[in-house]
Amino acid sequence: MFCPTPWHTLKTVPNLSVELLPGHKRGLSFSNPVMTASGTFGNGLDYAKIFDIQRLGAIVSKAITLRPRQGNAQPRIIETAAGMLNSIGLQNIGVDAILRDIAPVWATWRVPVIANIAGESIAHYAELARRLDGAPGVSGIEINVSCPNVENGLEFGTDPRSASDLTYAVRRETDLPLLVKLGPNVTDIVGIAAAAADAGADGLTLINTFPAMRIDIQARRPTLGWGSGGLSGPALKPIALRMVYQVARSLDIPIVGCGGIVSAEDAIEFMMAGATAVQVGTATFRNPQAPLDIIDGLEEFMQREQILAVREIIGAALPAQRESQTNNAGGVAAGHGPQSDGAITGRALRPG
Amino acid sequence: MKLERAVVLSQEELYENTYLMWLSSPRVAKSASPGRFLMIHCGDADEPLLPRPMSFHRFRDSQSERQFAILYDVRGRGTAWLSTRKPGDGLTNFGPLGRGYATNPDAQNLLLVGGGLGMAALIALADQAIVAGKSITLLQGARTAVKLYPTDLLPPEVEALSATDDGSAGHHGYVTDLIPQHLSWADQIFACGPTPMFAAMANVIREARSRKPAQALLEERMGCGTGICYGCAVFTRKGVRLVCKDGPRFELRQVFS
Repeated sequence: MFCPTPWHTLKTVPNLSVELLPGHKRGLSFSNPVMTASGTFGNGLDYAKIFDIQRLGAIVSKAITLRPRQGNAQPRIIETAAGMLNSIGLQNIGVDAILRDIAPVWATWRVPVIANIAGESIAHYAELARRLDGAPGVSGIEINVSCPNVENGLEFGTDPRSASDLTYAVRRETDLPLLVKLGPNVTDIVGIAAAAADAGADGLTLINTFPAMRIDIQARRPTLGWGSGGLSGPALKPIALRMVYQVARSLDIPIVGCGGIVSAEDAIEFMMAGATAVQVGTATFRNPQAPLDIIDGLEEFMQREQILAVREIIGAALPAQRESQTNNAGGVAAGHGPQSDGAITGRALRPG
Repeated sequence: MKLERAVVLSQEELYENTYLMWLSSPRVAKSASPGRFLMIHCGDADEPLLPRPMSFHRFRDSQSERQFAILYDVRGRGTAWLSTRKPGDGLTNFGPLGRGYATNPDAQNLLLVGGGLGMAALIALADQAIVAGKSITLLQGARTAVKLYPTDLLPPEVEALSATDDGSAGHHGYVTDLIPQHLSWADQIFACGPTPMFAAMANVIREARSRKPAQALLEERMGCGTGICYGCAVFTRKGVRLVCKDGPRFELRQVFS
């Protein structure tokens, strides 16, 4: 029987789906913009027993290295005001075990899994990308650039040239959607973001943890076994948010926002600052269900505000016109090695 | 796994700086067992950020529901906040988590070894084992007499012996000194305490050339309790493991050899 409903009582189901990488030939479509951040969700297998992980927008794996790593000595974590420090030391089972035991499970899931990779040299990263390329269950790659390069001791993500070299080397090995996850401990995030974009990144994850420390005043030494660690949690959020805003206002590249997101309101802030999707990390330590609660909260917000599609809010807080970066990032990214191979697309720089 | 709302039933300072809190959180209590744990949010708003892991200390059936207690020392801002909770207050929590003690069905004589707050988890095991008709000898060690768990709160069938670092009660020395005289009697050993106690225990058992199975309930700084933060790693003979997910119960000789 047909029962007509007055139009004003119609409850619309908000559309939460996002296409993260419209510029990529296969794209990367999510049922919603909420992802789990690398290193805060294992490889997803444990939580598959705890809740319906298929409801997530996407899962990012724990950082994968070429060889298995035991990780750092204790203590590995310590709480701080509105946050925590960690120095896990990239404990993971290595790419062989991932491909043999884990990726086949990912392949059976509806939720896309993005493999986060970490290495000690550009050759390591390239090798990881080569191994993961085409593996069933791997929907994309996220490069963790916040690792020291054993060749010069500097982090890959701390200057445009090394970020560019690294991104380019990985890009050459794979057609998979490629995200570059940048660290916040830099003077000019836009310059580094532009370098990664020009070297072939399809999207950027902003941001990784901030290098930080606590001192054990009884022992009179740094609290963490490794000495320093990465700050995560709500304390990081305003810093991350500004970096997303800065990059989104300058560059035309999809951004995944990450840093201290614990609520739907936090996620919305990141999307309004220009992020197409968000990653939830430390919040899951406090509430195992946090990513799902944030999805529900997003949906409620959209219903309340009568927003039909979540993509409508992406960049809503940005100025109407994008800033020109030709004097800033463009100068850094141009004239670099990959140019001769035709890898520089220039699409990262959008005229103001 | 959803966040649960526990109701505080009672709270008391049982002995110096050590608090006993009874809680009602039926869904968590349902599959809780000795040696497993839950995570408790210890603040009114979002601070402190990380939940605190707490062992199940005791269980009871009351008004057709299973209730449990936690036993904790006030050590920092989280436990200080917890100690100010009153009956009727709510506590956000989730669990139960981890792998608890596993009693061998053939083991009749159980030797329990607790150091300091390690008693928190052992009492739940003692209660359960007494009901199951096992014989229990409980060795507990503390810094000083006032930090010993009151033996009058134990089931009367439990034979309890104490050791204090300063000699103010029981044996003057470490609790591990008491182990050798009970080794031949014990079918299975269960321990909970600080890392140096486990190391000493492993030594004592090895020196006695005993192969008695011993389970240690490890403690390590935890972030998540669910195996995703990798904070509570422990380096074992079989490789690196997580206390929250692979433990907290481990075979003693797998970790301390």
